[in-house]
Amino acid sequence: MLERLKSFVTIRFVLTLCLIASCLFAGYKIYYKVKYWGFSFAPHERTDIWTIEADVNFTANGEPIKISLAKPQSSNEYKILDEDIVAPGYKTKIDKDRVILSTAAREGEQNVYYRILLFDNQDAKGKTAAPAPQAPEKPIYSEQEKAIAEEILSLASKQSGDLPQQLIRLFNQVPPEPTVTAFLPMKKTTKNVAENISKLLAYKGIASRMARGIKLEEEKTAFSPDLMLEAYLNGRWKLYDLTTGKIGLPKDFIIIQRGGTSLLDIAGGEDSSIKFSVLKSVTNTFNLAGKRAKLSNEQQAYDHSIYNLPVNQQSAIKWLMVFPLAILVIAVVRNFVGLKTMGTFTPMLIAMALVKTGLGAGLLCFVIIMGLGLLIRALFSKLNLLLVPRISAVVVCVILIIQYMTEISYRFDSDIGTAASFFPIIIMAWVIERASITWEEEGAFNACREIIYSLIAALATYVIICNETIRYIMFAFNELNIVLLFLIMMLGTYTGYRLTELKRFRPLVK
Amino acid sequence: MFKWLSKYFATPSQLRKAGILGMNRRNFKFIAKYNKRNLYPLVDDKVQTKELAQKFGITTPRLIGTIEYQHEAKNLKDMVKDGESFVIKPAHGSGGKGVLVIKSHDENTFTTPSGRVLSYKEVYQHISNTLSGLYSLGGQYDTAVIEEMVNFSHIFDNYSYQGIPDVRIIIYRGYPVMAMTRLATAASGGRANLHQGAVGVGLDIKSGKTLKAVMRNQPITHHPDTNADLTQIEVPFWTEHLLIAAKAYEMTGLGYLGADIVLDADKGPMMLELNARPGLAVQIANGIGLSKVLKKVDKYYPKRLSPEERVAYVLTH
Repeated sequence: MLERLKSFVTIRFVLTLCLIASCLFAGYKIYYKVKYWGFSFAPHERTDIWTIEADVNFTANGEPIKISLAKPQSSNEYKILDEDIVAPGYKTKIDKDRVILSTAAREGEQNVYYRILLFDNQDAKGKTAAPAPQAPEKPIYSEQEKAIAEEILSLASKQSGDLPQQLIRLFNQVPPEPTVTAFLPMKKTTKNVAENISKLLAYKGIASRMARGIKLEEEKTAFSPDLMLEAYLNGRWKLYDLTTGKIGLPKDFIIIQRGGTSLLDIAGGEDSSIKFSVLKSVTNTFNLAGKRAKLSNEQQAYDHSIYNLPVNQQSAIKWLMVFPLAILVIAVVRNFVGLKTMGTFTPMLIAMALVKTGLGAGLLCFVIIMGLGLLIRALFSKLNLLLVPRISAVVVCVILIIQYMTEISYRFDSDIGTAASFFPIIIMAWVIERASITWEEEGAFNACREIIYSLIAALATYVIICNETIRYIMFAFNELNIVLLFLIMMLGTYTGYRLTELKRFRPLVK
Repeated sequence: MFKWLSKYFATPSQLRKAGILGMNRRNFKFIAKYNKRNLYPLVDDKVQTKELAQKFGITTPRLIGTIEYQHEAKNLKDMVKDGESFVIKPAHGSGGKGVLVIKSHDENTFTTPSGRVLSYKEVYQHISNTLSGLYSLGGQYDTAVIEEMVNFSHIFDNYSYQGIPDVRIIIYRGYPVMAMTRLATAASGGRANLHQGAVGVGLDIKSGKTLKAVMRNQPITHHPDTNADLTQIEVPFWTEHLLIAAKAYEMTGLGYLGADIVLDADKGPMMLELNARPGLAVQIANGIGLSKVLKKVDKYYPKRLSPEERVAYVLTH
């Protein structure tokens, strides 16, 4: 029994369990980070933050003051980061969709500010379903009005789009239809257009409501919110632009108030006005994550994560986090593909240098350093120097080559030389030494082949680690490195043939 | 497309059917399993191997001396003054790297078998390179081993372009399982590496006779340079070869082992060196996969036999 259990619990079995466990763990952490910290899978390094400021101005008339101001709610597109009110002496209360300010009786001009910080909720998925509204009350029209309404509806049907769109287009027609002019009050405003369309929709049994919102644009000051119309069609609310009839939320638009409630109610004041201003600022996504964590009561976990470190340390760790993936590539190249490279991790180090230098400049640089280095090393081999001094001399030569390349390329205004300084000097010296020994012992063909295989491995690694998205994901979801660890260990139990062996042992197959 | 591919590549299932042992499987299933890490120094250090071999009654080339430190290098002349020929080897070398053979020497010049004349300074240089680890496995500081040159039997004279071929025997759990000899060619630059173009001759493990000769993966019948008939090779003292190989198991405790054996004209088969990670080229030379043979050993071969009994078993089964 125990024997059977033992044969079942092989290394591979244990590693498979670990791999599955680490996948589950990483999966949970990814879910957690996306949900509570707002991490996304795309490398949005920066996130826009919008500051909307509402300036409420009115004259107090000596009675107790109560101000009720509509405010934006967190939506799928925007999340509230922070909000505050500047209203000295007022008692403040922030509801889900309104801000209530109250104070004792006052006189004179009053100014209160409400400020809200919103950020792009770029990773939001899915929409919350709104409850279906009740059937609207039919408007009470006189016989004459009814006739005109019918005529407008029949005129509208000649326009394109669905009914609200048809009506909006009809009302905005230039020159206007006489029937429409007769139907509307003398002074045509967006508001009464909206109200009348809403009535006509109600006449046809379609529920609708007004919505006020703000178009988020940089440095926008002192403006009134835009009015839009929402109609409930085919089981969902649709938003209509009242001048163009376009459906849907315009880009960078935030609704601050919906339905019958007013934008601003003031008791104990007169001549009220509200002006909005919008300011855009940019912040680091990871900084924001802390605030998001706070909003979702996950502050502590965030404080102890790498994203709370100073930026310098973060960028160092970000660079480290991509190593395991590069190592996996090397392990695959050597144990699965079966390429013989110079030194185990030399290709990886070359790839890292290539990322910093750029591919073209880096490769050219590598070829130049290798070429000159081999030439110098060939001269050294005639001198019969001892090993350590000889390799040291090669190191110094590599440094000198890099120095001259930098100088010359600066003179010719190219960036190839600066690329040179990113190559790991000691590693380059050893690659030169090894290549030159292989050259002497096994011929130029074998030496070149080894260099080319190393470059192939380096390029395979480069392709993966130069990808910004992959680097970002390995940093933002660094639990994946545990998965990689077990993957690498699993590769350590791979006993199948290497790809190169399929060719090597081909003659043994009849 | 597929046809073209199958001309150059085998499928994994074809290789499996042919019983070919792959590098990964060799490392994981055999080397990691049967070769304990702490036993490696016994075979990686040629001085230790020699001492051990002596204890087990296996003949090896006589040790003249070792040079461990740079300043001892000047003792070389004293060490070799009695004999004509000698060999300098790195104690931790592998695959013949850093082996310098001196056929004759006088006060200031050293002559190699190919007739190249080296100055004392050049030989000194070679020793110094050896000590600083240029030829050793991990590049660590090394010891130079000076040993007597084998008085090679002339039986193989015609079979190799340069140098003297040795016989490589793979030993699994004490049983010699597969053997080959590697013959240098002009194309291989006088080296005995198959991938460089040397000829590999698979030897029948029961008789030491040619099974098959291969050069650059193609079957051949005659040596490309010496034109010797490769199909008629029969290694003399074959049982003695097998016995040395079988004893290497008791000597080292390594379950998967390669033994390189040369034939001395006077002293018979001699063990040159052992290898704890023998390569897989022996399969190509024999045209047979190792996996099949190893499986057979695991399944049917009796355990706990003496080396002599194992050799007898191999010869009769």
